[in-house]
Amino acid sequence: MNSALIVGVIAGSIMSGTSLLYATLGEVVGERAGIVNLGLEGIMLIGAASGFAAAALTGSPYLGIVAAALAGAAANTIFAYLVVGRHANQLATGLSLMFFGIGMSALIGRPFVGALISGLPRLPVPGLVPGGIGARLLSYDILVYLAVPFSLFTWWLIFRTRWGLGLRTVGESPAAAYAAGLNPQKLQYQALTYAGALGGIAGAHISVALTLTWAEGMTAGRGFIAIALVIFAKWNPLWAIAGALLFGGAEGLQLQLQAAGADVSPFVMNMTPYLLTLLVLIVWGWSRQSAAPAALGRNFVGVE
Amino acid sequence: MTRSRMIAAVCLLLLGLVAAGPAAAQDKPPLIVGAIYVGSVNDYGYNRSMKDGLEAMKRAIPGLKLIEAENVPETAESERVMEGMVQQGAKLIFATSFGHQQFAFNVAKNHPDVVFEHAGGWMQAANFGNFFGATQAAWYPMGVAAGKMTRSNTLGFVVGVPIGYAIGNVNAFEMGARSVNPKAETRVVVTGGWSDKAKEASAANALIDQGADVVTMHVDSPATIIQVAEGRSMSSIGFQSVEARELAPKHWITGLGFTWGPFMTETAKSVIAGTFKPAMVREGLGQMMTIAPFGPEVSTEVRQLVIASGDRVEKGFNPFTGPVTDNTGAVKIAAGESWGGDKMGNFDWYVEGVIGKAK
Repeated sequence: MNSALIVGVIAGSIMSGTSLLYATLGEVVGERAGIVNLGLEGIMLIGAASGFAAAALTGSPYLGIVAAALAGAAANTIFAYLVVGRHANQLATGLSLMFFGIGMSALIGRPFVGALISGLPRLPVPGLVPGGIGARLLSYDILVYLAVPFSLFTWWLIFRTRWGLGLRTVGESPAAAYAAGLNPQKLQYQALTYAGALGGIAGAHISVALTLTWAEGMTAGRGFIAIALVIFAKWNPLWAIAGALLFGGAEGLQLQLQAAGADVSPFVMNMTPYLLTLLVLIVWGWSRQSAAPAALGRNFVGVE
Repeated sequence: MTRSRMIAAVCLLLLGLVAAGPAAAQDKPPLIVGAIYVGSVNDYGYNRSMKDGLEAMKRAIPGLKLIEAENVPETAESERVMEGMVQQGAKLIFATSFGHQQFAFNVAKNHPDVVFEHAGGWMQAANFGNFFGATQAAWYPMGVAAGKMTRSNTLGFVVGVPIGYAIGNVNAFEMGARSVNPKAETRVVVTGGWSDKAKEASAANALIDQGADVVTMHVDSPATIIQVAEGRSMSSIGFQSVEARELAPKHWITGLGFTWGPFMTETAKSVIAGTFKPAMVREGLGQMMTIAPFGPEVSTEVRQLVIASGDRVEKGFNPFTGPVTDNTGAVKIAAGESWGGDKMGNFDWYVEGVIGKAK
């Protein structure tokens, strides 16, 4: 266990985990409002493609992130209209959104495959010795530094604001929310717009910060991992941080262990993040008390 | 000439030109060729090399028409795409990715008058042939370059899927490195897929974290790994397409690229002449493969060593000549034996000096 391995795993898991964290945060907000979005993978892909395209066109990775947030929000608004406005089945619509996202992102990204962009610049963690091993390995882009503040903000939004209270009420019982004078549809639209923006940013982090490239389907299932992480986090943004680090860490760890020469078959190593996710879901599911919002997945057709 | 005669003459001239025009357009192309790629041709990698080969074929045979389809998945969907090309009159189809094999074979069965060439597999039929570069021995000169350029004596190799051929590439690379630098070690990270950019980025970072200062790869596109290495001021050696050197203007060492052009041109000509014969074609350095131009940091001495090593391979040097020991100490190729082209898919062990587990 050399120090390079430890620092490398920490650095790697933070980089891998950041996009998962943003996606999970968005999905938490959406599910707190009672809407499960299985199309998160599609939203992330649209964000990745739009972010990369905007960064390639304007030369500014920051504009890329903004474009990704807007594109993700726009795509999720389509989903919101279908599910909230037209009462379509959430699971089916979510999956359709995933396919839409895969195709749309391919269309957006096509002219930019192979383009070279200047990605989000990496800033070393302040306070470390410049040029030392810490500064070399612990250097991240702005989205990484903003990830935890965003989680805290999202937590505060859901649990400490009036809007958040309304959101949670809609997620538990839209009828009760309506009776209390809230507008469930409006709250769900707002939640999904926020979720879409975060999902877009999550995708853009992969293309504009991590890999500096665009390829079709490049999120490789991370959207679905994020959906599982929401359950792991018990719909709480603070636990989402732990979940994202854990999964990002698992992926980073197995690659670092391979590089360090671990005497384990590479096939087994590649499985570990997914095994870990399954294990976590099984263990978490043992408890009878479900922390899910009561009206999750059900459409409020109710009073017009 | 009177004015009316002049007008008549001009009209006749114009008529002649107009008549000649469609007649020229009526000339059918000597051959319509279809090609399917598993990814995008802008990948600075495998697909780009295929595209470059096809373009060379197109230039060599004037009038040849090329129909291409990118991002064709390795599923039954590819059959539909190839059928479409046959409908458009293609008489030669290149299925450029390994996973297209069975589907191309299926379409070939239904169209015995269309020739199919698949890259990387083994199936054959009267109208189905197979081709690929014999990559393993060609990695030896790459190892020579890496062994000379490394200062940390740690080399990094990212492998997509640990099939025998890929492991053979790693082995030849390490053997080449050891031949000029007995302390050189190669660390291997397997990402599990031929094209997962995020994992490739993480793998490259992991290798550099573990001390590798020269990074190379066997994945579909070298772009991500080269960019990560360049971003961290580490040297890189490319694979699949020599164009990848554009991504690392400072720290590129050299690379291996495929030159499919001559084979594709020859095949197309044989289809036009009606003399096509299916075969399993495997060609190495000097034929289907080439060593990329060197980067600015490579000294003349190292360049000469690498070129000399490449020449030896072209003349038939086989690095897999016994005795060869694996990284657990067991002798895998006995003295006096050697592993030829037919055994290149059989590697399930790494040579001494490689840090990694093959299976």
